[in-house]
Amino acid sequence: MIKVEGLYHSYNRDGDYAVKNASFEVPKGEVFGFLGPSGAGKSTTQGILTGLLRLQEGKVNVAGYDVKELKRSMFNKIGMSFEQSNVYSALTARENLRFYSKLFDVPTEDPDTLLKLVGLFDVADKKAGEFSKGMKHRLTFARSMMNNPELWFLDEPTTGLDPAIAATIKEIVREKNKQGVTIFLTTHNMYIADELCNRVAFIVDGEIKLIDSPRNLKLQYGQNLVDVEYGDGGSLKKETFSTVDERDIKKLQELIGRKHIATMHTKEATLEEIFIKVTGRELV
Amino acid sequence: MKKMLTIFGRDVRVNMKNFMAVFIILFPIVMAIGINLFTPGINDTTVNLALLSKDTEMAAYYEDFAKVETFATQGEVENRVAQRDNVVGILPEENGNYYILTQGNEPKEAVVEYAQVLKALYELDAQVADSNAVLHNFGKTVPPLKNTLVNAMILMISILGGMLISLNIVEEKMDNTVSAINVAPISRTAWVFGKSLMGLLLPLVGSFALVLITGFTYINFLQLAAVVVASALISIIVGFVQGLNADDMMTAVAGIKMMMLPMIGSVIGAELVSQKWQWCFYWSPFYWMYKANGIVLSGAGEWPKLLLDTGLVLVITALIFAYQAPRIRKGLEKV
Ligand SMILES: Nc1ncnc2c1ncn2[C@@H]1O[C@H](COP(=O)(O)OP(=O)(O)O)[C@@H](O)[C@H]1O
Ligand SMILES: [Mg+2]
Repeated sequence: MIKVEGLYHSYNRDGDYAVKNASFEVPKGEVFGFLGPSGAGKSTTQGILTGLLRLQEGKVNVAGYDVKELKRSMFNKIGMSFEQSNVYSALTARENLRFYSKLFDVPTEDPDTLLKLVGLFDVADKKAGEFSKGMKHRLTFARSMMNNPELWFLDEPTTGLDPAIAATIKEIVREKNKQGVTIFLTTHNMYIADELCNRVAFIVDGEIKLIDSPRNLKLQYGQNLVDVEYGDGGSLKKETFSTVDERDIKKLQELIGRKHIATMHTKEATLEEIFIKVTGRELV
Repeated sequence: MKKMLTIFGRDVRVNMKNFMAVFIILFPIVMAIGINLFTPGINDTTVNLALLSKDTEMAAYYEDFAKVETFATQGEVENRVAQRDNVVGILPEENGNYYILTQGNEPKEAVVEYAQVLKALYELDAQVADSNAVLHNFGKTVPPLKNTLVNAMILMISILGGMLISLNIVEEKMDNTVSAINVAPISRTAWVFGKSLMGLLLPLVGSFALVLITGFTYINFLQLAAVVVASALISIIVGFVQGLNADDMMTAVAGIKMMMLPMIGSVIGAELVSQKWQWCFYWSPFYWMYKANGIVLSGAGEWPKLLLDTGLVLVITALIFAYQAPRIRKGLEKV
C-alpha cells in the first residue's frame, strides 16, 4: 500500500533534513505506527506521502500512485486526519462534512452517520467555530473517513483528547482496520502505538531507527519481570524475578512450591522503555 | 466544473452569514436606491410639459418630444409646475407670445433648455422630417451627474467582487482548510476558478441590478456584460494577491480599498481634466473602464470604440497579471 525508498526532506533545501534516508513498506491491511518524539519528522513524512509537501528526494508510492507525479484521483482512495484540526469555523459540523463530500468522485459516507460515530450528532447544526478543541478534532477525524478510504493517514489522532474520546477514536480505528483499511498512524504516545499498531517505526531526528512489531520488540528488548509477594514466617516479603534468566526462573519455581504466594504480577517492559533503550531518547 | 460550483456555493453560504460580506453583496442595490434619491431619475427628466388644454395644436406637436399634461386654467398649470418633480409650463402671455414657467429647481441643462429648444422649434414650425441630422443623443435626457455616479459605481462593484474574494481566501487561511482541500480529489485550478467566480458574478449581477434600478433600461446589456467581465479580472487578480498575503480580514479589506484611489482618480480625471491632459490617465485600467462604461450607458451602441477601450483594459490586466503571477503562485503554494 505504501512503499518509501531513500526519502529525504529539507524544508529550506539547505541540507538541514527534517527527514533523512527513510525507507519502509506498509502492506495492505496493516496498522503501521510512526513513533517518535515531537519534531522527529513524523508529520513531515506524512505530508510527503499525502502530497501536501512536495517530494524532494526518494521514491514514494502510495496506494499505487507515484507521488512524484501526483494525480488528484489518488485522493479518492486515501483519507487524512490532521494533527491540527482544520474545519470551516463559519459552517456547521454537518455543512462542513456535506461540503467535503461533494469533492469526491467516489460514493461517500452520510455526514450524519459520521457525526454519530464521533459523538457530534447532537451538535450537527452548531457552527464549528463554537466547538471546543476536542470537538473540532473529532470533526476533522470524521471528515477523513468521508470517502471510505482504503488507506487512512492519522496524525496524532488522540493527542490532547480526553481519555473517553480517545478510547472511542481507538475503537473506530480498530473497527476500520478490521474492515481491511490500511492505516498509517503517527504518534508520540507509546500506548496508542502499542495498542493499535501491527508494526511500529521508531523515528528520531528524521531517521528511522528500527521497524518491528511491538510484540517482537518486547521479546527482543524487554526483560519481562515478575513481582511476587509471599508470606515468610508471619511477615509479607516482596521479590522481583526475571522470566528470562535461568536462575531466577528456578528460584521462582521453588518459591511457588514452598511458600504461600500472596500476589504475583508480571511486569512487561513498556514500548517507551524500549524506545529509550534503542534510541537513547525520551518520547516527549 | 461541478466541484468549482461546490467551492463557489460554499463561499456564498459563508458570505450570507457574514455581516460585512452581506453588506458588500447588497451594496449595489443600496447605491442604486441612493442614486435614485439624490439625482433625478431618467423618467423625471424626460421633459414634462404642462400646457393649457385649449392649446391643442401645440400639445400635439410637443407630444412627439416630451410628456405633455394639459390643464384647464393657468392656475392649475402653475400648481402642477410647483410640485416636486420636473414639470415645465408653457403659457401664453397677454400679447399672444408664450413663455416658459419653471419652478427654479429643475436641472437647467436637461429640462429647461430642452423645453426652450422645443418651444423655439415649435415657433419655427420645424418638423423631424426637416432635419437631415442623425439624432444620436436625442432622448439622452440623463443628467451627467447620474451617468457619472452609475458609471463609477459599476467600477466600484467590480472592486467589491475582489474584496469578497480576498475575504474568502483569508477565511480559508485562518481556518487552515486549504490543506484539507489539498488532500481531496479536486484540482488547484478548479479551486482557483471556484474562488474567482464570486469576483465575476457579483459585478455582473450587481451592475445589472444597478443600471436597471437607476433606469438605464435602454442600454445594450451585452455591451455592459462585456465591459464588466473585462473590468472584473483585475479585481479578481488583486483579490487573490491580497487574500493570499493578508493574515486577517481587515488587512485584506484595507489592501483592496487601495484600488479605490486610482479608480476615483481616473473617474475625476476623465470627467474634469482637460482634453490636453487626458493622456496622463491612459495607464489606468479604470480610466478605460470608465470610458467603456460611458459608451454603454449612452446607449449609443458603438461597438468598435467600446471594444477598443475594453481591449485596453484587458491589455493592462494582462500586464498586471504577468507582474503578479509569481506572487500568486507562491502564495498558493504556501496556503
Ligand atoms: N513548515 C516548516 N518549515 C520549516 N521547518 C519545519 C516546518 N515544519 C516542521 N519543521 C521542522 O521539521 C522537523 C520535523 O517536524 P515534524 O515533521 O512536524 O515533527 P513531528 O510531526 O514528528 O512532531 C522539526 O524540526 C520542525 O521544526
Ligand atoms: Mg507532528
